[in-house]
Amino acid sequence: MDSARGPVGLKYVAVRLAQIVPTFFLVMVIVFFLVRYLPGDPTSAVLGIRATEEAVTRINAQLGLDRPMIVQFWIFLQHFVRGDLLDSIILKVPVMQLIEERMPVTLFLTGLASLIAVLLAVPMALMSALERDRAPDIVIRSAFQIGLSMPVFYIGIVLLTFLAARLHWFPVGGFGNGFGEHLVHLFLPALTLALSLSAILMRNLRNSIIEVLDADYVDFARAKGLRSRLILGRHVLRNALVSTVVLFGLNIGTLIGGAVITETVFAIPGVGRLIVDSVFGRDYPVVQGVALSLAVLVSLVLLATDLLQATLDPRVAR
Amino acid sequence: MTRWIRLMVLACALFGLATTAEAATRGGTLTYARYADSLFLDPVFNDANVDIWILTNLYDTLLMPTADGKGVNPGLATEYKVADDGLTFTLKIRQGVKFGDGSPLTVDDVKWSLDRARNPKNGIWSFIVDSIDSIDTQGADTVVLHLKHPDPTLAAGLATFNTAILPQKLYEATPGSTDEEKAKAFAEKPVGTGPFVFDSWQRGTEMVLKRNPNYWQMGDDGKPLPYLDEIRFPVIPDDATRILKLQAGEVDGAELIPYARVGELKNDPNLDMELYPSTKVTFLTMNVRPTLTDGTKNPLADPRVRQALNYAIDKNALIKIVTFDVGKPVVSFMSSATPLVDDQGPAYPFDASKAKALLADAGYGNGAEVSCIALAGSADDNAILTTIQQMWAQVGVTLKIDQMDNATRTAHYRAGDFQMRTSLWTDDINDPSEITSYFAYYPQIQSLHGGFQDQTIDDLYTKSQQEMDSAKRADMYKQIQQTYMKAAPIIFLYQSPYPVALRKQVKGFVQIPLGNNIFSGAYLEK
Repeated sequence: MDSARGPVGLKYVAVRLAQIVPTFFLVMVIVFFLVRYLPGDPTSAVLGIRATEEAVTRINAQLGLDRPMIVQFWIFLQHFVRGDLLDSIILKVPVMQLIEERMPVTLFLTGLASLIAVLLAVPMALMSALERDRAPDIVIRSAFQIGLSMPVFYIGIVLLTFLAARLHWFPVGGFGNGFGEHLVHLFLPALTLALSLSAILMRNLRNSIIEVLDADYVDFARAKGLRSRLILGRHVLRNALVSTVVLFGLNIGTLIGGAVITETVFAIPGVGRLIVDSVFGRDYPVVQGVALSLAVLVSLVLLATDLLQATLDPRVAR
Repeated sequence: MTRWIRLMVLACALFGLATTAEAATRGGTLTYARYADSLFLDPVFNDANVDIWILTNLYDTLLMPTADGKGVNPGLATEYKVADDGLTFTLKIRQGVKFGDGSPLTVDDVKWSLDRARNPKNGIWSFIVDSIDSIDTQGADTVVLHLKHPDPTLAAGLATFNTAILPQKLYEATPGSTDEEKAKAFAEKPVGTGPFVFDSWQRGTEMVLKRNPNYWQMGDDGKPLPYLDEIRFPVIPDDATRILKLQAGEVDGAELIPYARVGELKNDPNLDMELYPSTKVTFLTMNVRPTLTDGTKNPLADPRVRQALNYAIDKNALIKIVTFDVGKPVVSFMSSATPLVDDQGPAYPFDASKAKALLADAGYGNGAEVSCIALAGSADDNAILTTIQQMWAQVGVTLKIDQMDNATRTAHYRAGDFQMRTSLWTDDINDPSEITSYFAYYPQIQSLHGGFQDQTIDDLYTKSQQEMDSAKRADMYKQIQQTYMKAAPIIFLYQSPYPVALRKQVKGFVQIPLGNNIFSGAYLEK
């Protein structure tokens, strides 16, 4: 019944880790050229109405942006292999520094949001499935449906207005100093992010549980005399979680996208806001650096969900 | 005959201080919520308002703009004198001033800072002091600027942020092989003579400034300014969140309040909803070339069409709809707070029949189609253009709106590849020359990239740049503005103040028409 760890598991992990490398290079090349094909350039974008031809040409030349793209890519690669992601054009600080400062914030936010989403989805899904089509089920499904249909920024502002500004239960946005403050500051934004994700997870998990409850091997286990709770825990939940874990991995992109809006509404200094501002400002090095780190992050999360899936359902790992 | 222009050295707190009858209370931390973080705190290399409007708290200039934006006060220079031939500008430097690290301000720092500011390779603001040919120092208190030609804008230029005085020795000791590299390193921990010293900066989150105990300006109570111990600048990009934070009491002030919320905050008994006079003008730039980049004939090439489009807009209604009556009509292409503005009454008062007549005259009696670039996601742009769309439909003109992000529209703009676009302008210097050079003087950027060229205006502008007689110069500007008004290369819309909401305890703060946030005289009432 337990997953076969050991040589099979390790080989699986190694193969998956190796698969991240070509993904990484593909992302690097695509993002590099894609962002440079966007119309406009960072200098005239920031100078705006005050931009003179002389200033834009001079400053772009100073930044090396007048060179052919392939030359710029080569220079970028040369720096990259030395661990140097170049400097932000607009903020004038090393991109690595920005990522080191901001990535943990986004990780904290999305991590907390994932936790809240799971804590909301699992018990609710269980209750919903066990009370299928009865009052609790209908109430839970409607509540989650409402959460799913409201836009993230709307939920965020509503929570901020009532729970923070009026009732003072939470601070109005920001990140705070120290782990305790971070937790308090990030609770509302994480909740905002979690609501739509938990709705998706809850629905899927509920259906999976129902499917499993109706399955043959559960009847067989009952027939063998196994207690209900044991059946529930070991068989039902475990098998139902598989598809939900997969769904979670697939939605990680949505979670990060939602983080962008949440970071803006709640004034949180994460990479979501950073990458959006950088795309608008054509801050090429920052876009490249953050896109690459997010690619690594998403790949690792997908790997983790696959490993979790393999643990829950050993058939996957072979 | 030499003219000594003697500036009064004010005993009490200088520009930007609301003259209150109560004495200022000392101490405390003021938290001021900003909509965006600064990018680069170097006076010469910065590019954006988010930097300019904070720099004046860290660095001082030789002269300082007055609160109303029309003149200059003493700053690090106690007085200045211009020679009769206008080619020499002599400054007396204030003695006993110290930088934030305790080192003394010397005339060498002044010479070095100005040389750096006027180097055309450094940043984009060198034009402000490009009339300086060379700089000499005399003794411990005099700096002499030798000019290439008489420059009536120089006093205002020396009150502009890029001519702030930096500590030469400290800067040159900063690591870096080029000036840009040194500037980057120095800007991480800037040191100036300003009322506040840099304490810390968590990018994207918060900047903290602390009181400069060695500041040279005196407060009402005879002790040095500033009154505050500390200023914190949290960055809250979302308008609604920023206002919520203020209402919850977590910050003491919030800038850039959306027009739609001004009325509501005015009625809040805990807040002062300030509307500071500004040099901010909102308008539509028009491409006046005979053909557009795609080869089609451009109706906007005909001044009658441009005048008609101006007459067809009910500006008062627009101001009500877009700014909820916070804005005001403009009387010229420059704001009412810009020196030498020519006020002949509101530009192009609403007259739909005149508009139709002019269009018919120009051959567009059966209508015309124009397009305008809007900034994607801008609520103001959306409101302005949808309102104008309806107003122009009444005179037979169809307006197509193209939404673009900032970098894309700037690319179109530079290439002259647009028919119309929404635009905003604030002055950076207390003089009409900057805005005029961008809007009306063809050699600078082809009149806002719109292609408007009028030889009379170009000649008047060139002459005015060396005209030391203020009456004569004012007259030249009158002519420039009236010619420009008749030619109507832009759609005149409105000017609007800086909307800042402050808790009632905050006193003595001001945002001057140039946009600089002045905290030197601010205090928190107990």
